[in-house]
Amino acid sequence: MLSCRLQQKNDRIKMKTLSFKILFFLFFLLLVLPEACWALQPHGEPEGLYVHQMAHILFMGALAYLYWHTRKTKDLVGKGWRYLQYFCLFLIAWNIVAFTGHTLAHYLEPTDIISKGTWAAKLAPPITVIKITYFLTRMDHFLNVPALVALLISLRTFYYEALEEAEK
Amino acid sequence: MNGISLAPTIVTDLIGSGLAVLISFLALSYAYRLVKLQPNNFLWGFLFYFTMAMACFSVSRGVGHILRLILVLSGRNEMWMILSPYSGGVNTLLLISVAAVTLYYHKGLAAYKALRTEAEKLALANAKLEETAGQLQKMNTFLEEMVEERTRDLSKSEKKFRHFFENSKDMVYFCDYGGEISDINPSGLHLLGYDKPPSNFNLLNFFKYNDTLERYLTALKEDGFVSDFELQFESSDGSTRHMLLSANAILDRKGRMTGCEGIAKDMTRLRNLTDQMVSQEKMASVGQMAAGVAHEINTPLGIILGYSQLMMDDFKEGDEIYENLQVIERQTKACRKIVADLLKFSRQSESNKAELNINTIIEEVLAVSEHNLRLNHIEVIRDFSSDLPSVIGDVEKMRQVFINLLNNAQHAMEKGGEIFISTGWDAETRDVTATVRDTGTGIPDHIKCKIFDPFFTTKTVGKGTGLGLSVTYGIIRDHGGSINVESPIVDLQTGQTTQGTAFHLRLPVTNKSETNAVKD
Repeated sequence: MLSCRLQQKNDRIKMKTLSFKILFFLFFLLLVLPEACWALQPHGEPEGLYVHQMAHILFMGALAYLYWHTRKTKDLVGKGWRYLQYFCLFLIAWNIVAFTGHTLAHYLEPTDIISKGTWAAKLAPPITVIKITYFLTRMDHFLNVPALVALLISLRTFYYEALEEAEK
Repeated sequence: MNGISLAPTIVTDLIGSGLAVLISFLALSYAYRLVKLQPNNFLWGFLFYFTMAMACFSVSRGVGHILRLILVLSGRNEMWMILSPYSGGVNTLLLISVAAVTLYYHKGLAAYKALRTEAEKLALANAKLEETAGQLQKMNTFLEEMVEERTRDLSKSEKKFRHFFENSKDMVYFCDYGGEISDINPSGLHLLGYDKPPSNFNLLNFFKYNDTLERYLTALKEDGFVSDFELQFESSDGSTRHMLLSANAILDRKGRMTGCEGIAKDMTRLRNLTDQMVSQEKMASVGQMAAGVAHEINTPLGIILGYSQLMMDDFKEGDEIYENLQVIERQTKACRKIVADLLKFSRQSESNKAELNINTIIEEVLAVSEHNLRLNHIEVIRDFSSDLPSVIGDVEKMRQVFINLLNNAQHAMEKGGEIFISTGWDAETRDVTATVRDTGTGIPDHIKCKIFDPFFTTKTVGKGTGLGLSVTYGIIRDHGGSINVESPIVDLQTGQTTQGTAFHLRLPVTNKSETNAVKD
C-alpha cells in the first residue's frame, strides 16, 4: 500500500518536470524565431464586422435575459415592466434584422446597387430573395423606434408611479 | 425590370435616426427623474444606466447614419470612408456596453433584492417595534388612567366609609385578637366615656358581666361572628350601657382569628323606655285592680266602722267590750287609710286642682317635717329656682308627694345625712322640675324596677305598707308628670358617682288660658 502511494508521488513529480520542460522549449522558440513573433496579433478587415455581429448577438442575448428575468420575477409586474418587455422584444427583433442586414450586405456585389451614394440608388435586377431581404432590413428603424417608444412609456410609467408613491 | 429604389430606406433611415435620438433622450430624462426621486432604488439606477447607454447608442448610430447620408449624397464618400470605422466601432462598443449593463443587472438585482429583503425585514421589525412601543405606550397610558380611576374610586370609597365611620351614631370598632382596640369612631369613644383613646384601650374590659364576655368570645371563635348580641358595657364613668352588638372575626389566610370588627348600637334609652312602658303598663293594671279592690273593700269597711262606732255608744268607756270596739274602729280606720292610698295610687280619688307653686308646697312640707328630720341628724339643703312658673295640681296630693319622698329619704339615712331639694324650670320641655336627693344607702339595681309597685317595701313588717312611692307615682302621673329614680347619683358635669338616691320629678306647666279653664 505504502509502496503504491510512493509510486504515485514519483509519477506526479515526473509529470511536473515534463510540463516545465515543454514550456521552457516554447519560450525558447519565441526568442530564437523573431519572424514569427506573437507579441501583437494582426486584425484583418472582416474582424470589425464579426465583432459587430457578435455584439448584436451579445446584445440580443442580454435583452432576452432581461425579458426572461422580468417575466419570471413576481415582484416586477405592472404597466412599466410590461412595456419594458415589449422594448426587449422589439429590440431583439431589431437585432435579428440588423444582424441579417449586415450579413446580407456581405453577399451583395458592388454591381447589385445602381447609383450608389445618390437618392436614385437602386437594387439592380434581377431581384433576388437576398436583395429583397436586404431592402427590408434597411427599414430596421420600424423596429428600433417602436422599441424606444416602449422604453419611453415604460420609464414614464415608472416615474409617475414613483412620484405618486412619494406624494403619499 | 428597373430594380428597387433604395430612396424609402434612405428616408426611413433619416427620420428613424432622428426619432431614435429624440425618443431615447426623452426616455433618459424620465430615467434621470426617476433616479432623482428614489436614489436608493437599484432598479431605477440600472434603468438609468441602461437608458443612458441606449441614448448613447442611438446618438452614435443615428448621427453616424445621418452623417453617412449627408457625406455620401454630397459626394464626399472618401471622408465617410475615414469616419465609417470609427462610427461602426463606437456603435459596436455601445452595443456591448448596453449588453454589459443588462448582464450586470442580474447580480445587481440579486444584491438589491437581498438588501431590500434585509431592509424590509428591518423596516418590518422596526414597524413591529414601533407598534409594540405604541401598544406599550397605550397600555402604559391606559394603566395610568386605570390606576388614576381606581385611586379615585378608592379615595371616594375610603371617603364614603370614613364618613360613615366617623359620623355613625353607633359604635364602630376594630380590635386585635386580645381585644385591644386599634380603631374606634368618635361615637364609640363617647359611648365608652372617653374623648380620646386611652393608652390601654381594651374592649373586653368594658363588658359588665363575665358570662356575657365568655359567650361573646366563644361565639366569635367558634362561629366567626355574633349578631344582635345583647350585652352591657360599663363605661369609664361607671354608667351601664345596654348594647346590641354585631361583630365579625377577622381571619388570616390560614383561617386563624387575628381580631374582630363590629358595630354596637346603644340601646340604653330604648331599654329604659321599654322598661318604663312595661312599668307603666304594670302600674296601670295594678292600679286598676287596686281601685276595684279598694272600692269593694271601702263599703264593708265603712259599715264595719259605722256599726262599731254605734256599738261603742252602747257601752261605757273602760268596759272590755268598749275597748274591743275601739280596736276594731282603729284597725278599720287603718284599713280605710290603706284603701284611700290605693285610690290615690290608682288615681281614683277626688282631686281639687288649682294653680300652685312647687317651691311653696315644698316649704309647707318642710315646715312640718324639717324639725323631725333634724332630730334624726338630717340636714335639708334647698336649691330653689326663684322664677319657677306655677303648675296645676291638687295641693294636698302634691304635699303628700313630697312628704312621701322625704320619709323615704329619712328611712334611707338612719344614721343621718343630707337631703338636697332643688327645683327648676326646663324651658325646652316646659316642665317644672324638682329633685329630692339623699345621701343614704341607695337602691340596688335589682329592686329599682319594683320600688313603685304597691305594697313593695324593704322595711320590716308593720313599719310600712309599701304604698308611699306607689301613691307618689300615682299622684305625679295623675298630674301628667313623671318621676324617675337615680341611684347612685352621677354628676353630669364631673362624671363622678355619689352614693344615695335621687327622685327626679317633672310636672308640666299649663298655659294661663288652660289654667283658667281648669279653674272654671
